[in-house]
Amino acid sequence: MRKMEKSRLLAFSDKYRIYLLFVAVFAVMSLFAPRFFALQNMTSILNAIAMNATVAIGFTVVMICGQLDLSIGAVITFAGVLTMGLEPLLGFPGAIAVAIAGGAFVGLLNGLLVAKAKINSFIVTLGTMTILQGSIYQFSGGNSIGITTPQAFAISDFLGVSLIPLVTPRILIAILLVVAVELFLRRSRAGRNFYLVGGNKNTAWFAGINTDRYQIAAFVISGVTAAVGGICSVLVSTAATLKLGENSLMYVISATIIGGTAMSGGKGGVLRSVIAIFTLEMLYTGIILFGLGNEVKIFFAGLILAYVVLYEAYATYKHDKSLGQRPELMKEIKKRRTASGGA
Amino acid sequence: MKRATMILIALALVSLFAAPVFAQSANLKASLAIDTKVLKSADGQLLLAPSTDNRKVPARPASPDALPETNPLHWYDMEWAGWNVTPMNIPQSPADGAIGKKIIMIVHGDHPWTTACILGGKKVADLYKMSFKALSPNWDKDKQDQLIDQAINEKPDMILLIPLDAKGAVQQARKINQAGIPLHMFNTLPDAAALNYSLGWTGPDDFGQFRLLARAWADELQKKNPGSAPIGVAYVQHAPGGSPYFARSFGPISELATYAPRIKTLEKASPTPATFDANTTMQLVSDWLTKYGKDLKGICASDDSAQSLGIFQALEKAGRTDVVVVAAGNSKQGMDLVKDGKLFGITYQTAEGDGGLAVSYAADWFNGKKMPLRQNLAQHIITKADVAGFYPPQW
Repeated sequence: MRKMEKSRLLAFSDKYRIYLLFVAVFAVMSLFAPRFFALQNMTSILNAIAMNATVAIGFTVVMICGQLDLSIGAVITFAGVLTMGLEPLLGFPGAIAVAIAGGAFVGLLNGLLVAKAKINSFIVTLGTMTILQGSIYQFSGGNSIGITTPQAFAISDFLGVSLIPLVTPRILIAILLVVAVELFLRRSRAGRNFYLVGGNKNTAWFAGINTDRYQIAAFVISGVTAAVGGICSVLVSTAATLKLGENSLMYVISATIIGGTAMSGGKGGVLRSVIAIFTLEMLYTGIILFGLGNEVKIFFAGLILAYVVLYEAYATYKHDKSLGQRPELMKEIKKRRTASGGA
Repeated sequence: MKRATMILIALALVSLFAAPVFAQSANLKASLAIDTKVLKSADGQLLLAPSTDNRKVPARPASPDALPETNPLHWYDMEWAGWNVTPMNIPQSPADGAIGKKIIMIVHGDHPWTTACILGGKKVADLYKMSFKALSPNWDKDKQDQLIDQAINEKPDMILLIPLDAKGAVQQARKINQAGIPLHMFNTLPDAAALNYSLGWTGPDDFGQFRLLARAWADELQKKNPGSAPIGVAYVQHAPGGSPYFARSFGPISELATYAPRIKTLEKASPTPATFDANTTMQLVSDWLTKYGKDLKGICASDDSAQSLGIFQALEKAGRTDVVVVAAGNSKQGMDLVKDGKLFGITYQTAEGDGGLAVSYAADWFNGKKMPLRQNLAQHIITKADVAGFYPPQW
């Protein structure tokens, strides 16, 4: 009985580990980190995660499909540079539309090369990342692009103003996108098909699913969300820097894995990735508020990632070992052997 | 009796209101009495050496961007940023003394230079008994934005900022200004518009230093290569985006266009993917040496440590000892290379002095002094002749 309770508890903590980690970090930081549990600080954390949370939406969908998109960081910068660079020609609405279309195009290109040309997504997206980085430098002439017009400042101020406590328009955009994609993935047949494609592509194909179309769609979603993340970020800071998305790639990959999305595909969720980003950001902010340096922050990020990766490896090992086994039958055989005197 | 009580109450009230005024005045007096000349940096130099730059600020051309990149005035808005600003919503100095004030320094990233810079700032802050806190975003502009939010939440008496990105600094400065917190920017030059919201800017005059370095470099190159044939040179650039990217390549390029027209730019590039990495720099320079061979006579680096080490690794592999190399900064590696006769010259970029000057500027402002919009660090080119005087290195 106790053993059964223990295994149920383990299963629960395994399933909801990111939420438990979130609560634990929040509680510890609120109790001990100076000024952590303050409205301004929480708003500042939410504003800080808005870009990566938006980017993680599409990245998670790609990973659920069993693929990897290394171009997200470059797409963030690309979209940001397009928004600021084209604004004098097209105005903000036109420039934003072109930047989103640019992100979607990069996603489409990635998707076609992965699904149709059957090239490994790691190679494809590494290539697009490099090409985009070169294009960005060509387009910008190696310099950041800033706009200091009253309109740019007005947009920036609007995106940063609190609509209700904790929620600014920038955060609201991220929340709406997370809710929409999470509901789509969980509640619609098309959404669930992404899991099926990532879990077992052949089975999905036998079930009549056009697997190529889902893979391409996943990359397009990733391109669009990365572009939206980049656009929102440059609108807030009124400048597109050439290193805008540089740190996002590793951050989003780590958070998505910590959130429980399997690199092999078929498992995970957008909300989990975003909660993982929130948890990491709370941890980092807390470390700063404690007056500790970046080395401590990097150490803890590595520690969490190492723990999650090791745990995943252990869970996969256990799962593989138990494949085809029927514990009830083993128990019955053991019982009969004991009853017949261990013969 | 009644009258005496009234007098006593009046006296008590007067002393109650007058005490803070007297305390303020005493604090100011004590703050003004502090002499920063007692402070020295790790290399034995004065922490706050007076600036030696006496150049006149030229008139701004109508459209600097329309001028060729080889014209110094093309870089006007970067080189002379801060001299002609329109201050906006700048707070008044409390003029009640620097002692006891709380300042937050937000730097650009983790680096031995930054550690020395923070140390310099802390030396001055400790002298003035100011509360001093340093925050580092580790080269992440988004993180720097977040640290600015956090700093604003802490409501310090002043924020000192090294902008990570020249253009991105405008909104950062505006945000701090709107929060009503005095801002002082230092080290890297932001876009001129950012300085509208800042009390001022202090730091190395990168363009000025590199014009000085370019002249010394040109003299040596022409001495080694007499005649009228073109002298090919290349520039290993800083990370794109910030002012050093332009100042440390286009500064000398535009200076040499008139000072030594024989010197021709063959290449300029920032090592990728890692800008300050010996291996990537070595690869970049090796490619140049293969492409240009003996035509490449000089290299100017944006960094005297990792980049310079990479350059000399490439030169050694190619068996070249004739290339005249100059670089920015005075790290231990850089000064050792100068001492060994490898690097011809480096700019004196006191890291401790940079941080110290920013905090000293803040202290002077709290003390009610009229502060200049821009204050440069002392300029100097270190060569083999005087490198011994700069040991032990600051970083």
